[in-house]
Amino acid sequence: MEYDDKGSVKDIEGDLRNRLAGMGIRKGKTIRMITRQPIKGPVVVEVDGASTSLDLEMAKKILVETDR
Amino acid sequence: MKVLLMGHPNVGKSVVFNRFTGVDVITSNYPGTTVEYSEGSMRAEGEEVTVIDVPGTFSLEPKDKAEEVAVEMLEKEKNAVVISVVDASKIERGLYLTLEIIERGYPVVLALNMWDMAKHKGFNIDVNRLSEILGVPVVPTTAVSGEGINKLASVLKRARPIEVETISGRAGGRV
Amino acid sequence: MSLTVDERWDLIDRISRETVTAGVYKETLTDVIGEITIKPMTGIPVVIASLYLFWSIFGSFAGFFTDGFFVKFFDQYWLPWWQLHFPDTWEWLYYIVVGDPLADNCLEAFGMLTSGLFVAVGVVLPAIFIFYLMLTLLEDVGYLPRLAVLVDTILHKIGLHGYAIVPTILSLGCNVPGVTATRILETRKERFVMMTLLAIFVPCGAQLGIMQQVIPETMGLVLLYLVIGYFVTGFVLNRIIPGKSPEILMDVPPYQKPLLRNVALKIWMRMREFFTSAIPFVLLGVLMVNVLYLAGFIQWLSCTLSPLFVYWFGIPEATVGPLIAAFLRKDLAVAQLSVIEMTWYQMVTAVVLVSIYFPCLATFVMLLREGWKELLGSLAVLIVVVTVYGGFVHLVGILAGVA
Repeated sequence: MEYDDKGSVKDIEGDLRNRLAGMGIRKGKTIRMITRQPIKGPVVVEVDGASTSLDLEMAKKILVETDR
Repeated sequence: MKVLLMGHPNVGKSVVFNRFTGVDVITSNYPGTTVEYSEGSMRAEGEEVTVIDVPGTFSLEPKDKAEEVAVEMLEKEKNAVVISVVDASKIERGLYLTLEIIERGYPVVLALNMWDMAKHKGFNIDVNRLSEILGVPVVPTTAVSGEGINKLASVLKRARPIEVETISGRAGGRV
Repeated sequence: MSLTVDERWDLIDRISRETVTAGVYKETLTDVIGEITIKPMTGIPVVIASLYLFWSIFGSFAGFFTDGFFVKFFDQYWLPWWQLHFPDTWEWLYYIVVGDPLADNCLEAFGMLTSGLFVAVGVVLPAIFIFYLMLTLLEDVGYLPRLAVLVDTILHKIGLHGYAIVPTILSLGCNVPGVTATRILETRKERFVMMTLLAIFVPCGAQLGIMQQVIPETMGLVLLYLVIGYFVTGFVLNRIIPGKSPEILMDVPPYQKPLLRNVALKIWMRMREFFTSAIPFVLLGVLMVNVLYLAGFIQWLSCTLSPLFVYWFGIPEATVGPLIAAFLRKDLAVAQLSVIEMTWYQMVTAVVLVSIYFPCLATFVMLLREGWKELLGSLAVLIVVVTVYGGFVHLVGILAGVA
């Protein structure tokens, strides 16, 4: 995942797609990175006004095309 | 009749439960306040109804023990009516869980909770059309103030199991 | 029929296109605060500030009521009245109910109606009231999930993810809801590590309250030892227990204004719990300890365990009595320790031991409900930890020249 402000989700790898589905993170959605914690900590993203925090390893499996 | 209250964590299921049954359950603003279910009863349309407040879950594929409890409850109560409580301003991901429940063959009533907040945020949801497409009763509610709660109780009997193909057929063309 | 994930979303897209029009999203003040408190640069200072604020309100509120009112009331009126008026026909009954006839304060007397009520009502009640009030506000506002994100990195080192901070904080009020809250953790390993750490290292609100009252100067050191123990033990457990630690995946709810009704209800339920279960337990604890003293059991146990206590832990053998009381109520045990003659460092060691030693009965029952295998495992860890860590605290004392 790119560490940019905003982008749209292009693809989510493997079974993570199922796990994130219930949280509303999916292909085609606009996603915004709110913060990334230091030392490989979790990231917090926003989709549709809902914030979700997820592990860095997970976040790497989300392919995002950034707006800029 | 048995009614299960299901939905994401933190959408106000326990508040709805409290409104229905008068049983005090405490709530908090973090996911997972309700890790065990609570049961109460109310009268709806002259009939005694058992209401069960199920722990919050994001999907029917559980990822922790509280979610497992939720799915087990659903599987145990084969004949229950499910009230799917969703945060109206996060309706899409709420519909995800709702569809999962419908797919399993349960009669569902959709409660669009936190309706006041959603309106405040500028959301506009065509409740009638939504109900038409889904084929289930849809009720906007604001559980903390009690708005819509009576209406919710009165439509319980109108809930019917429905096939997703039917929904899909009514939902209009492909994107 | 059931759909695949993508089909389901596709259907939702089609439904929502027809029915939902989202307004222009305006960023509100709550969103801004939400982001400030979750970004590390600003969030961590906020954590420290809130901790400090929490602590000073806790201390000053509890102190205000306990020192300002209850201590005077209990020592000057309550205790003398009972000492004077309770019939001394049976010496043993007097000893159990009123305690030492010569004591001039309610901690030393150690009777059911004197020390028992003083500890429960005079010290612990104000402390847990203010604690629960603040905890409830934190819960209802929605701060805890944000805290979880901030501490995720640290907690990963001990095999837990950030959300483990929620059971930990709840346990600071009372370990019982803390144990229940471990169910939001994902794997069995995680839940086991968490329950064990809660049962051993997290002191409850009642215990914090009494510590604040009887050892205000050295309380910080006690807490430091507990925090170090929490992390070291967690680190070791994470290495030796098989199983994977999952990744964090969690919804972060927006801040909300707490509902007065809910706050009041929650505090009411928690206080009622205190009156109906904690107070009887405190009184029962005093009763049990007094009976065991009268029967000579505690003296016998003190003699037997004396080598372990005196040489290994470096504390007087008289502390065996409080450790027995600790099985019922930790707050009572700390109160009892405070009147035993010992150096300040011995006191620190003894209070640390009371904290990490056997969880109180209520917690024990909760742990049993979560599974007896886990409970036995936790107890095995506990015995090792108490022995090793107790010795370690003593060793630090020797090296620092204070033991």
